[in-house]
Amino acid sequence: MGQRKRKSIWIRSGFALLWMAAAGIFLGAFAMPMEARADMPYDTYSYNYWGEEVKEPHSYLYARSITQQEIGSALRFPSDMFIASDGIYIADTGNNRIVITDFEGKAVGEITCGASETDFLSGPQGVFVTGEGHVYVADTGNGRVVEYDKDLSYLREIGRPVTTLVADSLTYSPTRVVVDGAGRIYVIAYGINMGLVEFNAQGEFQGFMGATQVSVSPFTYIWKNYFSTEAQQQRMETIVPTEYSNIFVDQEDFIYATINNLSDEDHLAGADAIRRLNPTGSDVLRRLGDYPVIGDLETTTFGYDWSSFVDVAATDYGCYFILDETDGKIFAYDNDGISLFVFGRNGNREGNLQKPAAIGLGADEKTLYVLDNTLNGILVFELTEYGSHLLNAIRLNNLGDAEGSTREWREVLKYNSNSELAYVGLGKTYLTEGRYKEAMECFELGNNRKYYSKAFSYYRKELMEKYLTKAVIAAAVLLAVIWIVKKVLRGRRWVGEVRCYMENR
Amino acid sequence: MIFLFLTILTLALEKLGTAFLFNGNRLSEVNILVDVITVLLVFTLWCVANWCTTSLMDGKGKMKDIVIAMGYALFPIVLIRLPMVLLSHAITMEEGAFYYMFGFIAYAWAGILVFLGTMMTHEYSLGKTIFTCMITVVGMGIILFIGLLFFNVISEIIVFISTIYREIRFR
Repeated sequence: MGQRKRKSIWIRSGFALLWMAAAGIFLGAFAMPMEARADMPYDTYSYNYWGEEVKEPHSYLYARSITQQEIGSALRFPSDMFIASDGIYIADTGNNRIVITDFEGKAVGEITCGASETDFLSGPQGVFVTGEGHVYVADTGNGRVVEYDKDLSYLREIGRPVTTLVADSLTYSPTRVVVDGAGRIYVIAYGINMGLVEFNAQGEFQGFMGATQVSVSPFTYIWKNYFSTEAQQQRMETIVPTEYSNIFVDQEDFIYATINNLSDEDHLAGADAIRRLNPTGSDVLRRLGDYPVIGDLETTTFGYDWSSFVDVAATDYGCYFILDETDGKIFAYDNDGISLFVFGRNGNREGNLQKPAAIGLGADEKTLYVLDNTLNGILVFELTEYGSHLLNAIRLNNLGDAEGSTREWREVLKYNSNSELAYVGLGKTYLTEGRYKEAMECFELGNNRKYYSKAFSYYRKELMEKYLTKAVIAAAVLLAVIWIVKKVLRGRRWVGEVRCYMENR
Repeated sequence: MIFLFLTILTLALEKLGTAFLFNGNRLSEVNILVDVITVLLVFTLWCVANWCTTSLMDGKGKMKDIVIAMGYALFPIVLIRLPMVLLSHAITMEEGAFYYMFGFIAYAWAGILVFLGTMMTHEYSLGKTIFTCMITVVGMGIILFIGLLFFNVISEIIVFISTIYREIRFR
């Protein structure tokens, strides 16, 4: 009875404490101005094991935007942006120029023409800056790629690829250009669906790279080729490979390429929305997550609402950020293709996007720039503490610094106890340290059965080594005891029988 | 009856007690009523459909015989899958093949027992048993369909009456 009474007192005092805490929070909320973070115009979430969106702390916060005021002149339908070490290069398509600004947004330079003063650029849609500072511009309207040196003076132009593979009737309109470390130039052009157009460092056409494979369902194939009339065939869409929407070259000279004109059928058939092409043109993107790298998993019940990737930016350690035009979201993935976080939204509030066109990462991923085609400006997002712990953990893990990454994962868990990634990360450290029981717990929380199984097999071995001899001895002793008891009982029965017999005689 | 109860218990324990490695269920979403209803529904449906078809096809078994035979047929599920819950705590993913194989054996055995049970209770030949089993499955579908139709119609009637009632009241 006394026990119970004491318990109830404990409970009561617990409630009192709770009430006080609640009141404190309530008053505190009035006393202090609400923190700005709670008021972001978007949510940050990630997908858990079950494919559900789980809200989590913001990784990037909207900080400011770079528009007409900062630049000094208005942009018109800009379509590409490159973040170089010395500033931001914007392809200002509508104004037929490339604008160069510093990181605050103040214009510091401009490119308007090619070889001569009168050779104006025409609707340039792509811009790229090499490590040495050379600027490559995809001059879409003039069908050429123009290279400038560090001081923005004209060097050369690379025109239409000389090949019979492209029909003469097709106007060559390059839209995006990247250059890898070896000086090879890769171009996306309208209407060319054989992949990226590849030029060597001298500007000679080399071939097409990374053609997207055509996937045709057997039903469509049979229907199209055997069961439809001539007229029907003409009205049907021709099955062509998809074109890339944007490219990004990472520090290993691998090319990230996004694809955004996929149909519902393509999506349902599991077509790639992003690829990582190695120099031979095959896709080497790691897809080890529970879900494919397609942005938002299917969410609507009425029709499909697929994410549409328009640009990608990758970090040195393999994390990449994909920009989605459908919802104005930014999807972050790690080097295994596991979703890290998703943030951003299309809308009319400050900090929302309208028609995102390009994404770029500042130094150390501290800032993230998103160019918007309709807002005619750049939105700047800044990394939060939580985000930096998360990215750091992955970076350190990639560098092989297990201790550092464990520390960072612990920090991540302090902010977000739902983070499956952090649990798996921690678990892996425990596994290498030989703390199998803890590793198992972590993997269970992180819902990773593969590693759980691994940890469990070690744990089981450990248990066996510890208890097997004891268990065998115990079993032997038990068997011996049973045997003896049986013997004794039988002996007694025998004695009893004998006695019985003697008495009856 | 006891076997029926044990089967339900087995399925529920399987969902709750199987080790993390082999348990794809989310503990917060496991509902024991689902197991109860699935087992009872399938069992009753099978028995009733079987009784319906066999009484038309001069089977010798009565309803009671069918229920007893089917009850016993569930025994392998309890016998194999219940210890497997314990076993799952001692094996890794690589050894999972055995786990899944035993799970399959349990159901296969139960299926064979159902088949043989039908054959014995009604004193059928092999071919006729196969035919009856197929008819029974079709019968289950028909019963389900009629049941759903019934529910639908009833709910329509209720809506209809309540609408009339409201109409009259608001006049």
